[in-house]
Amino acid sequence: MSFTHLNVSSSYSAHYGVSHPKQLAQAAKAQGAQMLALTDRDGLYGTVKHVAACMAEGLHPILGVNLAVLDSHGEAQGRIVLLARGRCNGAGYAALCRAITLAHGTSHGVPGLEAGQLAHLGAGGNLMVLLGGESDVARAILKGNYAHARALLANWKKRLGKMLRVEITTHLSSPGSRYSLGEAGRLLRYAHEREIKAVLSNAVRYVDPDGAVTADILDSARALHSLKNLDSCQPNGQGWLKTPQEMRQLAKEIGYATERSWAQQLLRETEALAEWAAADPVADLGWKKPVIPEAKVLGLDRPAMQELTSRVYGAVPGLLGDADPNLVEECLARELGVIDRLDFAGYFLTVAETVKLITGMGIRVAARGSGASSLVNYLLGISQVNPLTHDLVFERFLSDTRTTLPDIDIDVESARRHEIYREIFANFGEERVSLMSMQNAYRARGAVRDAGAALGVEQEQVDEIAKQLWRFSASSFREALTEKPELAALAERITDDTQLDILIDATERLDRLPRHISMHPCGVILSDASLLDRTPVQPSGIGLQMSQFDKHDMDLMGLIKLDVLGVRMQSAIAYTLEEIARMHTDKQSVARAGGHVDDSYISAAGAIDLSRVPLDDEPTFELIRSTHTLGCFQIESPGQRELIGKLAPREFNDLIIDISLFRPGPMQSNMVKPYLEHRHGFAPAQYLHPDLIPALAETHGVTVFHEQVLRILDVMTGCGLGMADVYRRLLGNPDKEPAVERYVRTEATKRGYSQETIDKVWEVLSGFGSFGFCKAHGAAFAVPTYHSAWLKAHHPEAFLAGIWEHDPGMYPKRLLVSEARRMGIPILPLDINRSTGHYRVERVFESAPAKLPVVPRAPSSLRPGRYGVRLAFRDIHQMSEREVERLVAGQPYEHLADVRARAGLSRRTYQNLAALGVFDSLLAGTSRADTIAHTQSMAPSSLPAKYRPGPGQLALDLGKIEHIKATGTELEPAEVVRTELDLMHLDASEHLISSYRQRLAHLPITQAAELLQLRNGTEVLVAGVRVATQTPPMRGGKRVVFISVDDGTGCIDATFFDDTQQRTGPLLFSTRMLLIHGVTRRTGPRGISLQALNAWDLHQPETLPAAGYLEEQGRPQISYRPKLGEGARSIESVGELAKRMEAEGLDQRGA
Amino acid sequence: MGMFTESIEVARAANGMPLRVSWQGQDYRLVAEPQRWFERRKWWDENLRIPRGAGAGIADYEMWRLQLVAVRGSSQVHSVDVSFDAQTERWRLVRVHDSLARSA
Repeated sequence: MSFTHLNVSSSYSAHYGVSHPKQLAQAAKAQGAQMLALTDRDGLYGTVKHVAACMAEGLHPILGVNLAVLDSHGEAQGRIVLLARGRCNGAGYAALCRAITLAHGTSHGVPGLEAGQLAHLGAGGNLMVLLGGESDVARAILKGNYAHARALLANWKKRLGKMLRVEITTHLSSPGSRYSLGEAGRLLRYAHEREIKAVLSNAVRYVDPDGAVTADILDSARALHSLKNLDSCQPNGQGWLKTPQEMRQLAKEIGYATERSWAQQLLRETEALAEWAAADPVADLGWKKPVIPEAKVLGLDRPAMQELTSRVYGAVPGLLGDADPNLVEECLARELGVIDRLDFAGYFLTVAETVKLITGMGIRVAARGSGASSLVNYLLGISQVNPLTHDLVFERFLSDTRTTLPDIDIDVESARRHEIYREIFANFGEERVSLMSMQNAYRARGAVRDAGAALGVEQEQVDEIAKQLWRFSASSFREALTEKPELAALAERITDDTQLDILIDATERLDRLPRHISMHPCGVILSDASLLDRTPVQPSGIGLQMSQFDKHDMDLMGLIKLDVLGVRMQSAIAYTLEEIARMHTDKQSVARAGGHVDDSYISAAGAIDLSRVPLDDEPTFELIRSTHTLGCFQIESPGQRELIGKLAPREFNDLIIDISLFRPGPMQSNMVKPYLEHRHGFAPAQYLHPDLIPALAETHGVTVFHEQVLRILDVMTGCGLGMADVYRRLLGNPDKEPAVERYVRTEATKRGYSQETIDKVWEVLSGFGSFGFCKAHGAAFAVPTYHSAWLKAHHPEAFLAGIWEHDPGMYPKRLLVSEARRMGIPILPLDINRSTGHYRVERVFESAPAKLPVVPRAPSSLRPGRYGVRLAFRDIHQMSEREVERLVAGQPYEHLADVRARAGLSRRTYQNLAALGVFDSLLAGTSRADTIAHTQSMAPSSLPAKYRPGPGQLALDLGKIEHIKATGTELEPAEVVRTELDLMHLDASEHLISSYRQRLAHLPITQAAELLQLRNGTEVLVAGVRVATQTPPMRGGKRVVFISVDDGTGCIDATFFDDTQQRTGPLLFSTRMLLIHGVTRRTGPRGISLQALNAWDLHQPETLPAAGYLEEQGRPQISYRPKLGEGARSIESVGELAKRMEAEGLDQRGA
Repeated sequence: MGMFTESIEVARAANGMPLRVSWQGQDYRLVAEPQRWFERRKWWDENLRIPRGAGAGIADYEMWRLQLVAVRGSSQVHSVDVSFDAQTERWRLVRVHDSLARSA
């Protein structure tokens, strides 16, 4: 006879359960179980994983939840388990979902249900309440209040009648503690007194005894007490998934403690309840059956397929007027055929409806991912990429072989994302829409903090370790300690301090366990009115309801998810366009300002329609080739600028290839070099076989795109593009790849390909197939890349304002100050009357003598220097949004007293603004230094907040009552820069490095701008501010660190190999101002970088090298020049690299 | 009642139930159903390592209360508590209950 566990918490009971549902299901199966319940705390967070695991193991899943019972004040009075009735066409599951949603709707934020609500829920006959060791009854027994316990139980019986079970659990803890045999026996006696059926459980928290320690640490983390001070920890470590034999033994022991016959009865009732609750995933949960919004919500008055067909054909003349009608017809027939056979028409219409909603709000939308391969998507307005022009493959997106809904991801302006969510909720209705959630798991840093707190390790010590941990998973920490030079000091201490050893063990136990859920950054679930019967929801951080399911659960639960991604670049582009239209109010002036020869895409009011801008603008490609691409989407990183320099893009397709190549995979598996050699004609392109030339010609024989992999598979085996995509997805999967290999070899041989060709083709497929990039995704990404470069080339001032306003890139704002200087754009200082809450383009009248900017701009666009960008109040340290609003509403101000009286600023902000020179334009006869001194001596706050004028309100003019003493002191430039950095994180007046010049005067420092003129292999010293640090994984496990510094004339990218890392030690990651000794390495006609040999911290002048350093005998020399991707090949195979990238989350390939 | 911790040998049945005890050179048999419980162990004070996969017996140790009678000689009943540490797989004698022993 088997035993069914009815009370099981998985690791999805955050800070409580230890084991993953899959481990639990596998263990239950191994023990001979037929059914298994999952009753996580507060929700169904692990339910879908549980059901999937049960199905894989051939178990019947039982679904339930563990909830707090609340009194009328919202105080928890113990906890109960709810089990859903099974095999009742979802009635039980729906009741469970609704009950959990209700439990999360409490006004005080503690999830739970009141007894009255439970009685109401029980009355439906679909939910069973289990009253066990965590209930108020068991608590009363523990305290010895036996009469009270019996009274409570009687009340429960009255409320719930036959929907109540008493749940008996014993962990055989010492007499008098929780889950003791005595407690279990007493509870069972009371149940018999009241004639309530009783079941046996083990209140499982971990799959095997090993998990008990982890549960202790979780208890400590939950209670926020160290283990020493924890008063409510588990009584012992017996809460694991015990075997049927062990459970029968427990029943027997309970029988001995009560009545012997009760043991068998307990086991019988347990199985009877399990039978009642066992669910059928298909009938109860709608497993894998997609549900789309009702036709009326989508505004359909005819079948979805008919509507789709007619809309798609209706859009052809407008969007594909020039295309070959036969080709269009052929494509559409194929796509619509697949969509019809899969019955996905409603899905496409749902997405189209959502996109229409968003564009209707005037928000920029772009589809990303494989969705761009579909002509239907293009014609519905979902995607802006025409798949015919870019030769994309629809089967990469959807084919008859696919049973799950395809992903269509939509990029929108990040700043307006929440507005879009609210609109979608309003439009489709609350009952059909929910946000998706995501599980946040313990990472090394959080794990070490919680483990440290549990063990009572000194806070300081934990902090120090935590600081070092951001780059490692906890499980690799021990290894990192022995390898990484910057951890050497810590490693030494660990050998001395035994407490650290147990700390690392505890950290490893917490690593990867779910911690809490939060709103997914982009997932929106759309469904019909039955949505809340199929997922429990809870409030998200922004108030809108959020499903307890994550992205992995969506397909399985038939939930349609739309990824609405906020992309800052889209916001920056939108802002740029607004600024252009604000400064130039009609078609002619916009055309003049931007140097646009063709003005067909500019409206009469001066609005530019980017989607109609041709993709072959020469000045744009000139800008891109110059590698001055800071601020441009996707191509601004040091590595990308290097690649761009080598690749020298001439047309839009080059951008697609560039973006697709710049991935860890291709970069490291040496795909880039042959591609570039063939591209520039240094070596003739080589093809695996003449039959593959059509597929590989655009990349000169190198396999870059998924689409090419599909075509290769199709050509070699004749499997068709749809099946080819199925095979492609299996590449790189160690279990399934061998079958694909056998198939390819057999079929290709049948088709007469030579063994040698097949070997070569297979090597490419298995090696690079899993690395390739979806061309459709590259094409979708290349659009904003091109647009941002186009704007930078034609409207640099507005573009810079847009970038500052929305901060879309990888670099700190201050780097763009240097870029502004290189672009010849004046940065206009903060000014009390001219600055606003936003970065604005402003006409400059006292224009400086025009100097040719380093960054190319389109010929015949406005001369540099005539427009500048005015700094905004929004990024000032400690200045609140409300303060900015009030200050701007009160503009203009006549004098300081006016500001003080009307702007309602805090004293600190007032002082900060004075320090930044915001009031300089109001000063007469006194200096900024005087104003600062004056504000420092000011009495605290002029008026209490409630008496301050609101925005727009005017106050009585009291005249110029501020008396500032003029002292004639002036501020040092270095002091000004330091203030700017402290308060704005910007060095606007001059570059930060200037104040270090004195310190470096004895050394021959080379500037970034001079580097390009140097020969390959020149030894130099450079100094600058760190702007980026990257540590991509390397073959053979040797780590390489890329550090970029900025010195005001440009960016210098330095590569630190292992030996240099050993030399520099901890300053590699912690130092801001760096002096670097290195050797130039030419990377292309426009690219040069440094191989670093040593580095110093500018803040430690005593450590800096002495004059004549570059002639010193003992200075480090280049010992070896590892070539990326070569030499180390034998150490780590491509497959291993792929696996490691997957494990470390470095594989950022698109959908 | 006395408190000890002293080595003791316990033979178990297949289901884990103690059968015979050997203590200070004497063999004992059980004269009543033994009682079992699991007592908390403060591993955070006692352990230097808690690696994953260490298995049972870190968070608690198994306790048995046994009523023993020597196989040869005196028929006096001894009531004792013994503990089993799953990590070291060692039995220890933890307590001898005097009062029970005398009354039996």
